[in-house]
This record gives sequence, C-alpha cells and structure tokens, in this order.
Amino acid sequence: MPSSQVPDGTEVAAEATPSWSRRRPPLTRGRALQGALPYLLILPVLVVIGAVLGYPLYKLFTLSFQRYGLFELIRRQGEWIGLDNFSSVLHDRVFWHTLERTIVFTIVNVGLTMVLGTLIALLLVRVSNWVRVLLTSGLVLVWSMPVVVAVQIWFWMTNFQNGILNHVLTQLHVGDYFQHDWYGTTFSKLAMVTLLIVWGAIPFVTITVYAGLAQVPRELVDAAEIDGAGPLRVFRDVTFPILKPIFLILTSLSIIWDFGVFAQPYLLISPSNVDASNYLMGVYVYIEGYAQTNFGRGAAISLLMLVMVAAMSVFYVRRMVRMKDVQ
Amino acid sequence: MPWEMRMRVRHFAAAALVAALAVAAVGASGASGGSTANTLTVWLQNDAQNGWPDLVASVNSQFEKSHPGWNVDVQYQTWPTHLQKFDATLAGGNAADVIEMGNSEMTKYMAAGAFQDLTANKSDFDNSGNWLAGLAASARYAGKLYGVPYIAGSRVVTYRTDLFKSAGISKLPTSLAEYTAAAKKLAAKDKSAGFSPVYIAGTDWYVAMAFVYDYGGKIAITRKGKWIGTLDKPAALAGLAAFKRFFDVGSRASKTTIETRPWPYEPYAQGKVASMIGSSWFSCCVGDKYKSVTKQFVMPSHTKGQPMPGFAGGSDLAVPIGADKAAAVDWIAAFTSTESEKVLQAKGNVPNATNLLGNSVNERAARKTWFVPTAKNWVNVENGNILRTMLARILTGKMTIKDAAATASDNIAFTLNQP
Amino acid sequence: MTTATETTSAAATAAGQKGRRAALVRRERRRRIRRAAWNLVGLAVFGVMVFPVFWMVSTALKPDSEINSFTPTWFSPSPTLDHFRDAINRPYFWDAVKNSLIIVGVTVVLSIVLAFLAAVALAKYRFTGRSLFVVAMIGILMLPQVGLVIPLYVVLAKYHLTSDDPKRALTAVIITYMTFLLPFAVWTLRGFLLGIPKELEEAAMVDGSSRLGAFVRILLPLVAPGLVATSVFVVITAWNEYIFANVLLTNQSNHTLTVWLSYFTGTSRNTDWGGLMAASTLTAIPVVIFFLVLQRRIAFGLTAGAVKG
Repeated sequence: MPSSQVPDGTEVAAEATPSWSRRRPPLTRGRALQGALPYLLILPVLVVIGAVLGYPLYKLFTLSFQRYGLFELIRRQGEWIGLDNFSSVLHDRVFWHTLERTIVFTIVNVGLTMVLGTLIALLLVRVSNWVRVLLTSGLVLVWSMPVVVAVQIWFWMTNFQNGILNHVLTQLHVGDYFQHDWYGTTFSKLAMVTLLIVWGAIPFVTITVYAGLAQVPRELVDAAEIDGAGPLRVFRDVTFPILKPIFLILTSLSIIWDFGVFAQPYLLISPSNVDASNYLMGVYVYIEGYAQTNFGRGAAISLLMLVMVAAMSVFYVRRMVRMKDVQ
Repeated sequence: MPWEMRMRVRHFAAAALVAALAVAAVGASGASGGSTANTLTVWLQNDAQNGWPDLVASVNSQFEKSHPGWNVDVQYQTWPTHLQKFDATLAGGNAADVIEMGNSEMTKYMAAGAFQDLTANKSDFDNSGNWLAGLAASARYAGKLYGVPYIAGSRVVTYRTDLFKSAGISKLPTSLAEYTAAAKKLAAKDKSAGFSPVYIAGTDWYVAMAFVYDYGGKIAITRKGKWIGTLDKPAALAGLAAFKRFFDVGSRASKTTIETRPWPYEPYAQGKVASMIGSSWFSCCVGDKYKSVTKQFVMPSHTKGQPMPGFAGGSDLAVPIGADKAAAVDWIAAFTSTESEKVLQAKGNVPNATNLLGNSVNERAARKTWFVPTAKNWVNVENGNILRTMLARILTGKMTIKDAAATASDNIAFTLNQP
Repeated sequence: MTTATETTSAAATAAGQKGRRAALVRRERRRRIRRAAWNLVGLAVFGVMVFPVFWMVSTALKPDSEINSFTPTWFSPSPTLDHFRDAINRPYFWDAVKNSLIIVGVTVVLSIVLAFLAAVALAKYRFTGRSLFVVAMIGILMLPQVGLVIPLYVVLAKYHLTSDDPKRALTAVIITYMTFLLPFAVWTLRGFLLGIPKELEEAAMVDGSSRLGAFVRILLPLVAPGLVATSVFVVITAWNEYIFANVLLTNQSNHTLTVWLSYFTGTSRNTDWGGLMAASTLTAIPVVIFFLVLQRRIAFGLTAGAVKG
C-alpha cells in the first residue's frame, strides 16, 4: 500500500474481496434498495395514471373496432365491425384534406411560437428589472386568460361590425378596412386562429426558456464575451447547448398541442361556421366522432391522430429520450 | 448525513405512494351515493335559473309536500355542453330523472331509446290535447310519446317606430311586398354605411327556411322510409329566391355571418338597424336610447294578410331510462300545469298549448309555425352546417340558387339516411 | 521631492486616469442607452401582448350601453364597478372560488412532488424500462382528450367518485388533472434536470455525498426555476380547465370558476358581456398573484457562484 494514499473504506473492502467477485458486486441489502430506488420513485406516477387512464385507454382502443353510437351507448354494448371504422375514415376525402391543412397549420404555429417566444425570453434578459417584472406579469396575465374569454375578446377585436382592428388599420391609413370581414375566407379564418393560438402560447415558451436561461452560468457567458464573441456566437456556443433539452421539449409539446388544438378554432370560427372546408384535426375528431355521437368512429380517428402526432414529433422525442444525461 | 437524506427521500416516496393508493381506496370503497332520502334529479337549462327561478322553487316545494321523503335537486345546464354531459351520464348509468331537451335535439335520443315511454301518462299533463303542433311533433317517435312540451318561442319583427314614421311608413306591412317597399323607403332615408333597414344575418337559416316554407317548400320528406332532400324543388327554390331578394334590399349584415355573431340587437342598439327578425325577447337588449321607440309586429307572408310561418323553437321535458317514472311524471305535470304555463307566459315565453295562447305579437306569430324534419340524424345536418353553407353560397353569388340548393339537398339526404 | 520626470509621469498618469475614466463613462452611457432601447422594445412587446387583456378589463368597466358601440372606445368616460358587483353576487361565486383553490392547490403540490421524484429517476438513474416510461409519458400527452371524456367518466363512476358529495367530486377532478398533468411535469422537469451543467453536479460528488442525497441537495436549488415554470403551467392549466370539470362536477356548488364562468354564455338568451368580462378578470387574479409571489425564483444568474473552486 503506497504511503501517500489514505485507505478509506472502499479501498480496504476492494483489497479484501477476491478479484473475480469484484466484477459483480455482492447484492447487499443496501445495493438492492439502491437498485429499487428508481422504480420506487416512478411508482406513484404510474399508480395514479394507471388507475385513471387504464380503462379509458383500453376502451378507446376497443371502441375503434366497434360500431358504437348513442344506441349502443345506452345499451352498453357495441357491435364488432373490425376495421370498418378505420377504412371509412381513411377513405374519406375530408380526412386527408383536414390532415394536410392541420400539418401546415401546425408547422406555422409551432415555428412562430418558438421563434417569437425565444426572442422575447432573450429580451427579458436584457431589460431593466422593473420592465422584466412588468413584462412577465403581463405574459402570465395573457397565459391565464380562459380560452373562452380570449376567443370572445379576439372576436370582438376582429369582428367586421365594429372591431378595433379594422378601426385602427383604417385610422393608420394602412388601407380601407372599414367593416372588413376577417372571417370571409378559409385562409383568413385560420390566420386569425393562428394569431390567437400563437399569442396564447408565447407566454409558456418565453417563461420556460427564460427559466432555462437562468440555468446558464454567468461565468461561461462572461468568459465567451471576454473572448470577443458577439451575442449570436454566445447564443450558439454557450446558451443553445444548455437550452437544447428545453427547446426539444417545447417544440415537441407545441407540435402535440397545435396538432390537436380544438377550443380556439371551434369557438373562434364558431360552431355554426366550422365545416369540412376549414376543419382542423381537433375539430374534425370532435364533430365527426362526438358531436355526432359516433364514438367508434371518433375512437378510430383519435388513434389515427395519435399515430400522426407521434410521427410528426418522433424526431424531437427520440432526441429527448436518448439524451445523454450527466451520468 | 447523506444516508439520512436517502432514507428521508425513500420515506417520502413511499408516503406519496400510500397517499395515492389511499385516495383510490377511499373512492372505491364505501357505500354508493350517500342520500338515504329519495332524490329527484332535474336537469333544466339555465334560462330557467335566470328567468323564472321562483317558479322552479314553488314547483319543488309543492312536489316535496305531496311526496314526503323526497327532495328535488335541480341542476342547471348550459346549452353548448348539456348533451355531452347527458351522454356521459347515460354511459355511467346515473342519468337525471327529468331532463329539458331542445325540441330539435329530441328525435336522435328518442330513436336511440334514451327516454321512457310516456304514452300512457299523457292525460296526466294539463292541456295535453291542445299542445302546439311543432312541440308535440318533436316529442313523438314511432307512434309513442317520449316527452312533454314545456315552452316555445317564435320569431317576430322588432322595429324602430321613429324610423318607420320618419320614412313615411304609416301602416305596418301585412305582406312581404309591402315590407320590401318599406325597406326601400327606410334605405332611402338613411344612406349611411352599414345601416340595415331589415337586419338579417346572412346564414340565418331560421329566417331563410321560413321563406321556403312560406312558398310551400320543405327541407326534406320521407318516402318509403328514405329521406329525400326537397330544397331543389320549384317551391323551395321560389322561397330561396324571395329570401335573396329580400336580403339584398334590406340587410347590410355580413353574408357569411351567423345570427348570434353579432346578435341582431347589437347593431340595433348602435342605431344601425331599423328592424330585425328574431326572437321576441330581443326587445330586452335594444339599449336605453331606443327602448321607448321599439315595438314588434308579426312577420308577414308573401300572401297578403297571412303571417309567415315562424320556426317552432322550444323545449320538451323527458324522462331518461333508469329514472323513477312515477315521480318524474308528477314533477313534470306540476311544472307544465296551467298555472305554471301562465307564469312562463308572463315571462315572455309562448306556452305549450293553443288554448293558452294570448294575443301578444309573440303568440300570434306562434299560431303558424314550421319545424325541421323529425329525423334522428337531423342534429348532424345542423352540426354540419349544410344549410348555412348553402345560404352563404347563394348570397355571395358563389353558386346559383339552383346549384347550391341541389348540393345541399343531396348532403341533407345523405346525412339523414345514415344508419 | 518631486523631480521633473516624476511630475511629468504623474501628469501622464493623471491624464491616463482621466482618459480611462472618460472611457468608462462613455461605456457606461452606451450601456445605459442600450438598456433604455431594450426597455423600449420590452414595453412595446408588453403593449401588444397585453392589449387583449386590457380590452377585457376595459370592457368590464364599461356600462352596458357602451360595450358594443359602433365606434370602439379605448376607455369609458363613465366607468362602473357594477359588473364586478353583479359577478360576485351571482350564485355560487364564492363556492367556485373555494373549489378552484382546493383543486388547483392539491393538484399542483402532489403533481410537482411526484413528478420531481420521477424526473430524478429518469434523468439520473439507469434502469430497465426507463426509455419505455419516458415514451409512455409523452404518449399520454399525445392522446386527444376529447375521446377519453366518457370512458373516464364511466371509470370514475365505478369508483363512486361522480356523486354530489364535494369530497368525492373534487377528488375525481384532482386525480383526473393529475393524470394529464403528471406526464407533462415529468417530461419537462426531466428536461430541466438534463440541462444542468455537469460541473455543478460533479462538484457535489467530490465531498463524498451519496448519489440521491447529492441530487436532492444540489439539484433542487438548481432546478428551482424549472420547478417554478412547471408549477405555473400546472396551476394555469388546472385553473382554466373546463371539459373534465364540466362533466365530472354536476352539483353547482361543486363547480370550479371556469365552469361557473360558462354559465354567462351558455344561455339561449342574450349574454351579459360586462358581467362575463368582470368575472373573467376576477378569475385571472389569483393566478397572477401566485406567479408574482414565485417569479423571483426565476432570477437570472441564480447559479452565479455555484461553481467556485
């Protein structure tokens, strides 16, 4: 034993056990508990989710293979029809048009939300304290508005009769927007919905990214700046790598939410005006499945949506799952 | 130190797990429900909560007095979500004992067997021999009675007496032609942008279909058990053409907007509307400025002296399966008794029987009505906005009346004939 | 004792000092101008984002006759508090406040605790089934909730939680919310944990602390901003959730504020817009207070000084 080394417990133990058994450490009680620890940590989550979602998920899956309307609901007995629901949905032109429209819609929404949200988060770093508190409080106010109210306000602001948007645009002489109908064309309708959704989604992205920025050690930023890096280089080399997991999460969550969004398009375009020409997937599954009490078909569409969303976000999800952690 | 920390965290995790299990256990164990007395659960729309809560309270206490050991639990619902909640309770097996349904919502649920048969109890309800045609039709399916008509509303014209006077309209119009001429006079008097002599929302199918039925057309008929769309027949086309003519003369509303966005009384209160076609309760919200110069008249038909048929909107009360039928029938009988209907009438509703009809504009308009096809899939036609799309196309000129009606007819037939 | 050279060198140093101070003052002023410019941008962003909220509050203060005027007005010349009074006096307002506070309070506490534990397991330990669990979490987030409403109601009815008894009804809503919020919280907290720079953790390992002890003691303060952001999300989502609360809570005295709010617009008659806006403003206030109390924990530079030798 070299004299410079102070023997501690582990080293002595290592010396005492023969070399061959060192390869597989003995299963002491401590080690067993250590091994069981992660399972213990995730167990409560699994129990809660399993107790509540177990049956509904099973039901969702089985319903998609049955004819299950109001008649069957009352009798609690569906009729097995195999893949008929799926094939009827997949042969429906409306389904494919809606899917196409929703994919484009999702890309636009997610893009705008992430870019604008991150820019505002970076802005938050650079302003004075009082502006920062003001702006974050404002964002939380925006975030905490119930959707129903936000839709109503948005509609008031953009309605053709006396909306303030038309009023302001006309006053600023951008053009004659007197009683311009912002809900005339499908593109216009969806543009309004996009604005509403992006506006509502920015606070979450901004606050989460800002929280992430708080984890970036000041020293690294200062070190990079002393080396002469401009703000863009600092962002790319120091900030972004640390924020990467957060960006991945936010993007994947945004994709999931924007793909299946229901309340905003349904309420803003209004239940009386949504139809096949402006369906988004969330609205489509609600109307075709549940408003028309065709639960079997609704379940089939839900499962298809699940597959689509998974496909759209697999890139980000895979990165997140495989993310090398510190150990 | 670290070991204690580890222990603490482990204990914490275990405690959280136990807590979660406890919650589940508390929920799963124990007796079902909790009330030892009998409870009659009633689902009414919150129109009742806002409009006539006293009537509900008095009917409840009357019921509880005559049924000792019972208490009435009224749960108010909202129109947009009450059907979804109803579906959930049907699936869960704990539906209410009495439920208020919109009359156009009834057929689907009757066809699915959601309600109990009340045919044998018909005589228990006051004035059941004289129920309004539109409401009574909505409560019948396959020859049996599944609901009790409760209240109705109809469509009237609410107008500005001062604007009519200053435009030189001395007599109220008694025909569509006279009304059109009046609208032209009103337009000549006030040329400001956005002013509507007769405000009608572009896709207000309640008004548009009234024109169709006025000219003898129909939305759909059944022949040999199959539904056929009839909007592309000559009579219906004539009605749609008349509607388009009338709209072009009278309304500056958006051609694609619905009749609740905005509510017609909103531009009316802004001074931008001389008359509007809609429910009689619109007069509540015309604003302080115009309250004193607002009156109503019956919408005239294209045939002089006749009223245009008004949409027979209203509600029925039904008894879901699994409920205590005897108790439910007693409560409904009390709530739709002659005295109760008189109270509802005083609040501006149309009572449920012809012998109770008074002479208000609302009730005169309710004497001639039209109703949607009593098909179990009619709700899907409404949800699919087939009629609204057709009207938007006709008014914006995107399609000819004939083509738009033909497309809508096909869609309606297709939807109604779904299994 | 001052020689000529010393004088000139002193003068030179003095001049040099003055030059340096001038440069410092210039840099200070440039920094201040830059900050003022950013502040201006920040205020502009604030104005645009908050405008609809301002519109809501301004409408709540307008008397009925002005709410839908033909030319929109920014402020009412005669503001009124009537709508707020009416909203508070509506039946079940205070019940709804109580129910919302209970549901959201319990949901956020339980969800954050359980999710943090699970996130630590996922981020810092290797065990079989780890990837499966992570994928399951995100899979649940991908489910269209509308399809689950009725089966969920049926399952909770089986557990006897869909009665009018407030304890059971609120429990039903709490565990439903937890079910849908836990995956999100786990997923997000895992991300925050993964983002913590290696150096900070290794610094903790050096002094011989055990793994879990080190994790909890070191990670907790580091991930505090993430915990705050996640809990704000949980609070807001639970506070504003409508679909499940509406289906699960039948008795009006059990309703949350969001369901209570829907009764303003759910009639077949005219809507009390002023009342709805006032009620919505009241509904938003508790959440904002919650955030203001916590927002200091997301201070930038929290980790400054954590890695010091």
